[in-house]
Formats: sequence, C-alpha cells, structure tokens
Amino acid sequence: MKLRSVWVFHLNTGACNGCDIEILDVLTPYYDVERLGVKLVSTPRHAHALLVTGPLTRQSYYAAKRAYEAMPPKPRIVVAIGTCACSGGIFYDSYAIRRESERLTLEYPRAGGTSEFLPVDMYIPGCPPRPEEILYGLALLLGLAEKKLSPRHYVDEEFVLPRTQFKAWVEVLLKAKIRKELGYFDGYKLLERFMELVDIAETPETLHRLVEEEKLKEKDSRIRYGLDRLYSYYLEVVKTYEDILSQKRRVLRVQK
Amino acid sequence: MPVTKYYPFEPEQAPPEYRGIPEIDPRLCVGCGACVNACPPDALIKIDDYENGMRKIVLDIGRCIRCARCEEVCPTGAIKLTQDFEAASDDRAAHVEVVELRLAKCRGCGKYTDYTERQLQKVLSLIPPGIVEFDRVREKLPLCRECKRLLTVVNATKFEEEMRE
Repeated sequence: MKLRSVWVFHLNTGACNGCDIEILDVLTPYYDVERLGVKLVSTPRHAHALLVTGPLTRQSYYAAKRAYEAMPPKPRIVVAIGTCACSGGIFYDSYAIRRESERLTLEYPRAGGTSEFLPVDMYIPGCPPRPEEILYGLALLLGLAEKKLSPRHYVDEEFVLPRTQFKAWVEVLLKAKIRKELGYFDGYKLLERFMELVDIAETPETLHRLVEEEKLKEKDSRIRYGLDRLYSYYLEVVKTYEDILSQKRRVLRVQK
Repeated sequence: MPVTKYYPFEPEQAPPEYRGIPEIDPRLCVGCGACVNACPPDALIKIDDYENGMRKIVLDIGRCIRCARCEEVCPTGAIKLTQDFEAASDDRAAHVEVVELRLAKCRGCGKYTDYTERQLQKVLSLIPPGIVEFDRVREKLPLCRECKRLLTVVNATKFEEEMRE
C-alpha cells in the first residue's frame, strides 16, 4: 500500500526517555519531520502509525495493547524506535520486562522488545538513535530512501596478521599501557600511528628522530605527551627483551 | 535563511567521535570471544559447533547499545564502531553479522578444541624470536583440555618412576 501523510502516535512502553527526547528533536524546525507529511497526534484513534519506544514492561503491556487496538484497522503501522523496542536492549534480562521467549538462549537475531506482541513494520535501532536515524527510518517507511543494510555472513575469510614476532609483542604491551594513559579512543589511534613509525625505523635513534618530527606536526598537547610516553615504554620493552636474551645466553653457556 | 536540514534527500556525515554501527572485520577477527564477555546487552554471542568444528561470532546491531567496550577489549582491532548510523530496516535479519571460524583439532584425541586455529596462529606470532624454541612449542600446542590434563598426569608418573629407579 502506498503511504502518503502518516499521522503518528507516540507510545512509551517504559523507555528511559532518551528515545522520546530524540523524537521531540525530530519535530523541531531544524529536522522538521512534518515536511515529510508526518504529524504527531494526541490519540491513537487518529493515528496511522505507532512510534513505540521502550522495552515493554509488564505494567505498560496492557496500555500498549489497548492503544494498538484503538488504532484504525487499515494501515496499523508499528515503528520500533530505539534498541530497547527493537530487541530488549540493555534491559533484555530484567524481571520487569514482559517476554514470551526464553531470555538466555543463543538464537539470532536476538529476540525481545516490541516484536514480542506486535507485528513491527520498521525497526530503528540506536541507543538513542540520532534524529537523522529516525528521519531515515521514517523516510524508508514512506519509500523516500533506500535500505542500506543487508545480512552478512562470512565463512573462513583470508586471515591477515598486520605485525608478527617482536613488533606484535611490542604492540600488545604498549596497547595495555596507552589505554591507561589516554583511553581507548585516542590511545589506539595514536598507537597505530606510532607503530607505523616503528615499522619504518630501524634503530631506536631513528625512531626518536621520527617521533620528534611527528610531535612538531601535532598541535594537541595530550597527543604529544602520549607520543613521549609511548617512546619511553618502547625503550623499556626493548631493554626487557635484551635482558631476557642475555639471561638465556648465560644459561646456555653454563649448560655447555 | 532556511534552517531546516535537507537530510533524507542528501547524504549526511556524523561527527568523528560519533559511536555508530559496530562492524567486525572478518580478516582480522581471531574468534577469541573477548568482545562476547565484555558486551553488556549480549548483542555479541559465541556459538560453538564441536561436531563440524566451526565457531560463530554473531553481532546483532538491533541489540547493540553503542558502548564501544568490544572495541576497547578487542586484541586485534577487528571490531570497530563506524560513523555510519543508517541502520533502520524492516527486517531484523539485516541487522545480523556472522563471522564463522574454524576450530583447532586436538593432536591427541582428534576432537575439536575450544579455541580457533587463528587464535593459535596469533599466539605463535606474538612470541619474539630467541625466547622459546618454536618447534617444540608448535609440537605441543593443539591439545584439548582433557588431553592436556592427561599429559600432565602421564608426565608426572613417568618422572616419579624415573626418580624411584
């Protein structure tokens, strides 16, 4: 059925209000969902579509059922907004959630949420989804946009090891340290840059020169500090490795 | 001046810090299951099939809350949060990404062990040269838990007998 202007009713089934605020954002002049013909109405009797947020608690189950039955029978579209409505989200295992299916099984796609009791037409995951995500989902429902995701299944792809032996060992040790200094987000990116320098450099002296050059280019003082720390940790690791090797040699000599 | 975005009709770029849809790179994933242990809402699961010797790492975007803990713990950097956000779909199956990997076969009993071949390769690639003798390690490695336990007992009894003599 071709949809024209969809009037929507916003139904909260126990959400944390994150998704509800994003729905409000979509209605502001900046995103302006009304230019697509979508209008928020105050009763399910006038609505074509139900925007459901929340993981469907036991208390809200009966209200949700009544709202669904009050809608006019013809289009009766259900749009699940947010990860909770799609599959239970972070609350999937809560005692307050109404679920028909088993909670701790290894099935996929993961069950839970609104689809336990309503036939859902459009899933918009996100925790919470951006206003653009909601706009995209509604545009997909109206046939204005194209679907981008498809199921992916990889069996026995070619295996790639970016670094091996000593460099891989250094990378593992430095990864744990830089995570404590800068956090995972900046730290891992910086480590990738540093390891590229290590790949180029032959000796610690050339590496020191390269790190100094990299520091001159960088404006962020945290990144400069991180590069300094990485270089000192690298020297420590090299020293430990040489110690282990010399010990090994000493043991071998004694055995002979 | 119009303030409204033209969004669904023109592409939109999320900011660089935005935590969007996670994605597993099947060429880098070793199937260790660190992300499965870290995932708070169980969006990532690990399914072992010991009869066919395959392990599935399953990622469901529809359950993911974008906390990036998987990215933090991944030892190879295989799972990453991208900047894409257009995940809406009318079909839940489109949210699922499955990476299937081969399990290692035990040297002793011939059954499948509880780790993958890639994990073995990764561990061997981590050891710097000169510390251990590679050939001896490689000879010992693909063992299942039962065989490892048995081997320890056998070695201990052998050692005891030698001591008695």
